[in-house]
Amino acid sequence: MMKNSNKEQSNMKKWFRSGSPWIWLSAGGVSISLISVLGLLWLIASKGLSYFWPAEIHEFKSIDQYGKHTTVIGEIYDRELIPVAQLAHTSIKLDPALETVERLLIKTGNRELVSLDFRWILVPQIQSQSTPEDVVVIERRTNGNFYGYIESVVLDGKVVEKSKLSELLARVDEFQEEIEGLQTTDIGAINYQLERLRLKGRKYKLDNELTADIEQQLANETNALKAEYQILENNLMALRKEVARDQLIVRAMDGQKVTISFEHILKVTYNNQLGFFEKFTTFLSQIAGFLVDDPREANTEGGVFPAIFGTVLMVLLMTVIVSPFGVIAAIYLHEYAGKNALTKLLRIAVINLAGVPSIVYGVFGLGFFVYMVGGSLDQLFYAETLPSPTFGTPGVMWSAITLAILTLPVVIVSTEEGLSRIPSAMRHGSLALGATKVETLWRIILPIASPAIMTGIILAIARAAGEVAPLMLVGVVKMAPNLPLDGNFPFLHLDRKFMHLGFHIYDVGFQSPNVEAARPLVYATALLLVMIIISLNMTAVSIRNRLREKYRMLEH
Amino acid sequence: MISVTPTALADSPNKIDLSNLSPEQIALNINNLNLYYGEKQALQNISMAIPKGQVTAFIGPSGCGKSTLLRCINRMNDLVDICRISGEINLHGENIYGKHVDVAELRRKVGMVFQRPNPFPKSIYENVVYGLRIKGENNRRVLDEAVETALKSAALWNEVKDRLHDSALGLSGGQQQRLVIARAIAIQPEVLLLDEPTSALDPISTLTIEELINDLKEQFTVVIVTHNMQQAARVSDQTAFMYMGDLIEYSDTNTLFTTPTKKKTEDYITGRYG
Repeated sequence: MMKNSNKEQSNMKKWFRSGSPWIWLSAGGVSISLISVLGLLWLIASKGLSYFWPAEIHEFKSIDQYGKHTTVIGEIYDRELIPVAQLAHTSIKLDPALETVERLLIKTGNRELVSLDFRWILVPQIQSQSTPEDVVVIERRTNGNFYGYIESVVLDGKVVEKSKLSELLARVDEFQEEIEGLQTTDIGAINYQLERLRLKGRKYKLDNELTADIEQQLANETNALKAEYQILENNLMALRKEVARDQLIVRAMDGQKVTISFEHILKVTYNNQLGFFEKFTTFLSQIAGFLVDDPREANTEGGVFPAIFGTVLMVLLMTVIVSPFGVIAAIYLHEYAGKNALTKLLRIAVINLAGVPSIVYGVFGLGFFVYMVGGSLDQLFYAETLPSPTFGTPGVMWSAITLAILTLPVVIVSTEEGLSRIPSAMRHGSLALGATKVETLWRIILPIASPAIMTGIILAIARAAGEVAPLMLVGVVKMAPNLPLDGNFPFLHLDRKFMHLGFHIYDVGFQSPNVEAARPLVYATALLLVMIIISLNMTAVSIRNRLREKYRMLEH
Repeated sequence: MISVTPTALADSPNKIDLSNLSPEQIALNINNLNLYYGEKQALQNISMAIPKGQVTAFIGPSGCGKSTLLRCINRMNDLVDICRISGEINLHGENIYGKHVDVAELRRKVGMVFQRPNPFPKSIYENVVYGLRIKGENNRRVLDEAVETALKSAALWNEVKDRLHDSALGLSGGQQQRLVIARAIAIQPEVLLLDEPTSALDPISTLTIEELINDLKEQFTVVIVTHNMQQAARVSDQTAFMYMGDLIEYSDTNTLFTTPTKKKTEDYITGRYG
């Protein structure tokens, strides 16, 4: 017995000494990290993507505790078990033997008829449940989805056959596209030019150079533009009238008839008639719409294109700003600064900058860049627009600069690390050939350090793309009327405010009037944000790998 | 005593009188050179004349200051912050530690090859033309010509002429060292400093480099540091033996290895220490 336990002990000791426990421990650590990352991705992917999958539309007939019959049509959003005790104080009568009762959350839409587009139904109260073939989902520009049955199609005041529906819808779509183009491109451009003319006039006035000649000329130009505007507006009116010509009469779940004008309809689908393949194509087109459309209904519906655009543009601007500054600072610290206490202090300060909470950078950006620098810029160069500020207000440029400062330490630290990894043989080789220090830096050191610089930039991008807090102070808005990039000179408008996916998530998830409806959108946007950060990083990583291959050093 | 092939010594055609050199025969003149690393003196009052168009070897045990002396000649010691130097080294009668000397210009005249091959992570071609590009030469024809000449002088042309634009890092160690030599001679220096150029190479590559050194002295003054006494005996015309920062003995190779005048030299070359 004694011998046996001794033997066991020595076996145990051997096992410990072999290092296996540490291998198991580290493998476990890796597995846990991997599982949490995959779990996170799986959660947001499944919740986010299911938003785009066309749901089955159910019709429930139920009877409540007062014996009242109701019909509910809608998608099942969620189901949960609640303890019966929770319902004890209500007049709902349930089988006393039950401990829990299931209830369903149904999205019923039809916001113009009922104030809530969601409602709970207790499963025991459901009398019958069906998925009628001819129930229809109408996606609309306002008031959200409509669920119901099509009664009739009205063309110019006369009832026509239902089969004409798709043809009429296609016609309206065409007009809508034309209207969109007129509004954003043509009329937008004229408005922009008019504003510039007005500012030009003001500038002349401020400089005391406004002569009657110039005034006359400006007035002529303005009038020409206004005439053009009038024509476009007339076109627009005509189109609007065309679009509003036809109506759809639909019956809601409670039997009410509702007239929906075609101008509000985006899409009509018979979800219950779709086969798997059709569902899949609908799914893909919904995703595409999410990526390229503008948001509607206080951001709770439609796409997120402006947010994608804003995020990517801001990150690219940030990269363009942070890379040269970070690299130059690192070169100074590593190559030129004396190796003394002051340099050490400076380096510690730089590293610690990375630990400052990001909202502090936001406050700094707002106080220093926006109000001080931007305010001065306005007084110097944009006096004609005052008191309305140009750069003295949050905008995409200030956001990019603020984030550049926030990510500067990352670039500096990794560049310095890269510089110190370069064997001194490289420097000596170059110096011995008669190159000066600058030439050596430029021709030898920087190319070899470029993968390390790229690593810094990758980390900076990863940090900046996910940052929201400082941006709320220096440029992000819930809804930007224009993209920072458009067809009007000078094309890139750095003073404009922009939308950002991170802020969009916050806004949709917590600030929207209908949080329940927006939840899947939050997941979908989160998934998209992750995807964009991954793809930005992947691009940078592939550039780095190419550089690494090019400047690969033999192991010395 | 070390064996040196008698024929090699007898055939030595460059035998000159070191103590009595005419100014035209001198490539470098080192005068009372002292060097300190902080408080520690690494070179003590070194004076010697290095003859033109010959191979001069510095030998001695580790830490004797032979590499430090070599690095003084093209001012590579400037890179060491705590290094202080007094005395002078004259090149064409001008002190290279003088006030108005352009160090980059000096290093173009005094090229250097290091212990380990250090090609840049660029193509073979770009490695060779690096010095020329620094000088501002960008004419394709001039560069092409320089590459061919330099690689031929470095006995590397036949091995790499078909892959000039491949990475230099794909070459073997010996080839890399010859490439580095080609890179150094492409800018036509007057003096070529070799700091233990074969210590990281295999015997066959070493042999190739040694043959190359023999050819190089026709065009350049070569100064070589080596810890390998056979090598010094094989390749050099003059040998200087250094010990603890002092120049102990300096004479033609034949004399130094066969009839050393100093006890320390004899002890070293017979292998009693070092």
